[in-house]
Amino acid sequence: MIPATLTRSLVEICGRDAVIVDEDRLLVYESDALTAYRHRPGAVVLPRTTDEVRDAVTAIAGHGLPIVPRGAGTGLSGGAVALNGAVVVGTARMNRILEIDAANRRAVLQPGVINAELSAAARPHGLYYAPDPSSQTTCTIGGNVAENSGGPHCLKYGVTSRYVTGLTVVLPDGTVAKLGGQGREAPGYDLVGLFVGSEGCFGIATEIEVGLLPLPEDVRTLLGIFDRIEDSGRAVSDIVSAGLLPAAMEIIDGPTIRAVEDSVFAAGYPTDAEAALVIEFDGVAAGLDGEAERAAEFCGRAGAREVRSARDEDERLALWKGRKKAFGAMGRIAPDLLVQDATVPRTNLPSILKGISEIGKRYDLVVANVFHAGDGNLHPNILFDRRDRNELERVERASKEIMQLCVDSGGTITGEHGVGLDKKHHMPLIYGAAELDAMWGVRRVFDPAGTMNPGKVLPEDTAPEWPVAGEVRDAAEPMIAAGAAP
Amino acid sequence: MNIAKATLAGAVAEQEERLLNCVHCGFCLPACPTYRRLGDEADSPRGRLYLMQAVVEGRLDAGSDAFQDHIGRCLGCRACEPVCPSGVEYGRLLELARQVGGEARRPALLTRVLLRVFGTDWLARPAMLMGRLLRGTGLPGLAVGVLSRPRGAGEQDRGRGDGKRTGPLARGAAAGRLGLAMLAASAPARELFHKGAARSASAPGEAMTPTTSPAQAAAHGNAPTVALLAGCVQAGLFSRVNEATARVLTANGYRVVTVPGQGCCGALHAHDGDLEAARRMARRNVRAFEGAGVDFLAMNASGCGAAMADYGSLLADDEAMGRRAARLAARVRDVSRLLADRGPVAGAPVPLRVTYDAPCHLLHAQGVVDPPLVVLESVPELEVLPLAGSAECCGGAGIYGITHPDLGGWIGSDKVRSVLDTGADALVTGNPGCMMQIGAGLALAGSRIPVVHLVELVDESYRRAGLYGA
Repeated sequence: MIPATLTRSLVEICGRDAVIVDEDRLLVYESDALTAYRHRPGAVVLPRTTDEVRDAVTAIAGHGLPIVPRGAGTGLSGGAVALNGAVVVGTARMNRILEIDAANRRAVLQPGVINAELSAAARPHGLYYAPDPSSQTTCTIGGNVAENSGGPHCLKYGVTSRYVTGLTVVLPDGTVAKLGGQGREAPGYDLVGLFVGSEGCFGIATEIEVGLLPLPEDVRTLLGIFDRIEDSGRAVSDIVSAGLLPAAMEIIDGPTIRAVEDSVFAAGYPTDAEAALVIEFDGVAAGLDGEAERAAEFCGRAGAREVRSARDEDERLALWKGRKKAFGAMGRIAPDLLVQDATVPRTNLPSILKGISEIGKRYDLVVANVFHAGDGNLHPNILFDRRDRNELERVERASKEIMQLCVDSGGTITGEHGVGLDKKHHMPLIYGAAELDAMWGVRRVFDPAGTMNPGKVLPEDTAPEWPVAGEVRDAAEPMIAAGAAP
Repeated sequence: MNIAKATLAGAVAEQEERLLNCVHCGFCLPACPTYRRLGDEADSPRGRLYLMQAVVEGRLDAGSDAFQDHIGRCLGCRACEPVCPSGVEYGRLLELARQVGGEARRPALLTRVLLRVFGTDWLARPAMLMGRLLRGTGLPGLAVGVLSRPRGAGEQDRGRGDGKRTGPLARGAAAGRLGLAMLAASAPARELFHKGAARSASAPGEAMTPTTSPAQAAAHGNAPTVALLAGCVQAGLFSRVNEATARVLTANGYRVVTVPGQGCCGALHAHDGDLEAARRMARRNVRAFEGAGVDFLAMNASGCGAAMADYGSLLADDEAMGRRAARLAARVRDVSRLLADRGPVAGAPVPLRVTYDAPCHLLHAQGVVDPPLVVLESVPELEVLPLAGSAECCGGAGIYGITHPDLGGWIGSDKVRSVLDTGADALVTGNPGCMMQIGAGLALAGSRIPVVHLVELVDESYRRAGLYGA
């Protein structure tokens, strides 16, 4: 519940239908795509313009209430969960592409534009937007900016931060600031770079300028089928060591293959295989065949049972569809899943994959792996049923062991899903006091009052003097850990 | 409330596995016409499933405003199903949710009246007759002409979400205006077929008895037999489409038989959660059609086709009829599939530029993607222009266009704009609800573009080719 005076202000600013305060109607905003964390917001407001965001943020900040920005709610780290009765500022209605400047290969858009729809709009100009998260048909560019999202093709093309050239942001006190812009190298400090990946803690981006790329001239897509997942990991490592630069390399393991093949997105992966490796080369047509042939040889040498080549665009899209819908298809195996997101040195992939599989066996859990192998970005999905208390405990323990395994092998705690609520207590595994202090310092510059997405990214116990808006409670423990079936 | 919750718990207990399949990934959001326009996640498939789950868990009252509004505001277009990686059977869950919602709180008077009329022969027949008589006077068309000034269909209420906040009088007027426009839109598109038409002996749109060529008669020995669902609205206002369906199927080598004792398919009732009435109607149709011993049940209303294809699960708990219903359901075919399976036979040129809107219950609910396009492509000299957003609902959605004129009108006006942007001579689709919704929207926007059923075009092509005899 928010104060009635604030409700009235928000209605005045954004309109009656843009303000949701009814407790029942707020239910669905309890969580994002990581349903282990559930906290009902105090209210949701759905502005349409920068001015409305500015006025709404000013009004909410004036009441000292915390604010949580939210795109499509497809995040996997609990970043859009509203702690302490925070007010959610949703960008779903800010979904207009404001400009496509084909000559300069840039676009300006509102944060609620869906990733794939930006590429679709750019296509008639022979352009596209490169970062392609697996949720690209539904996730928004605003969310991508907050999480500095990656995707399969970021192996070659890089993540969101490489493409964002300018931002109009509403800061936590309601100030509107324009960072970068017009595709130029901005003099002074790189505030755009600082803002991208700030997980909604520095403010709300209300206009985003991005760079677009010309569509690749041609593309080759291969599928390697393996009987042992370690072998597929070795193939990836060998391909990169040999100096080849595929646009993407993705591994889909046995349990995931079977889930996908059972879904409407069946891609034709053999269901008795233990790993499928999708490799894609794109760019200038000349030379692609040679690269694809060399990659196929490496697969064979690593022990691939067979290597297929997509014969046409339809086959290619089917191969990708299976990969990109894998997360959702897990629902066919078990009702709940915990998605991990860790990055490890590529050369350690074979041993880590083996280690994860052993952890799964030890805890009697299904762990399905589907991940950006080329980047060493793992996504072990632990499947479970939250109604089984005993299983919940095993999930928690296995999850921690997997994370520890990745960190011990020289990896880090997140590849692209962000830290959010889920990983903040893992931050000290990676950073010491000096680094965490520096991060707190930066955050304090943007948000001195501590009202912007509090309780995320940095663990509070590393910054004792940090103000936290709203009622303070430790919300970082997922409900499943407490054994409370939501 | 306790009774309702107990019912839901019972009803959804069996569905729990399906409900739990939702992993909250959010892939359904952009496919949902109401979420796209309102931007509220409670108006998305994921949000609605979450509300259903909350009722099952006892965290939410099925009679609450939140449950009633958001479940009520769903079009039931099922565009979320093909994009769901987990295969959540949303349509089925929606019907159950509406049943529970309806038990917790009485549905609106308008909804109850409409469902009662469609579900009762002695009310439906005179209502349809009155509709035809009124349509015959040409008054609805004239009235629409007067009413089709700048505001367009429903655009005036954009952003409000639903009719809840407009006065009852304004809502009544909007529903009345739309009702008249829909009635006018159900009239045959006589002028269209005069356009560039080869002269022909009989007047366009005139009913003709199918005649059978000797070759076809010979083939009839082992020709597949089909029974046609006459339907309620289809029989009442679109008898010409039923007649055309019989003719074009016959011309493609099917033996069309008439099945007495059939009635309304119950789709509208199921969609609005009146599952008992829907089951009653389903049983009647199972009894009527299974006796006919046909190979296929031909459907020219995709809403009815989707409902009848679902009879097996609708009557799954009926020991006496469950299996029989499932066997019958397996024989349900949209007319476009039956025609595409046969080629179809080519007719004479119909040199028109048309565009095609895919009915949701054909595309999403029945997964019929290509056959309508194959059929259209088979008509010589017919140019089919692509329609932007053809996979999105038109806002008609059974009685939704009437019960939610604001949001339905908003969705409909976007469809109308897409149709107008194509510059087509006519819009082709395959469901009476869509024909009336889009036709009404076009008329209210001041356009004279007619809406025709797929089989009407094929029928015209065959008539021009002389396939029905001189």
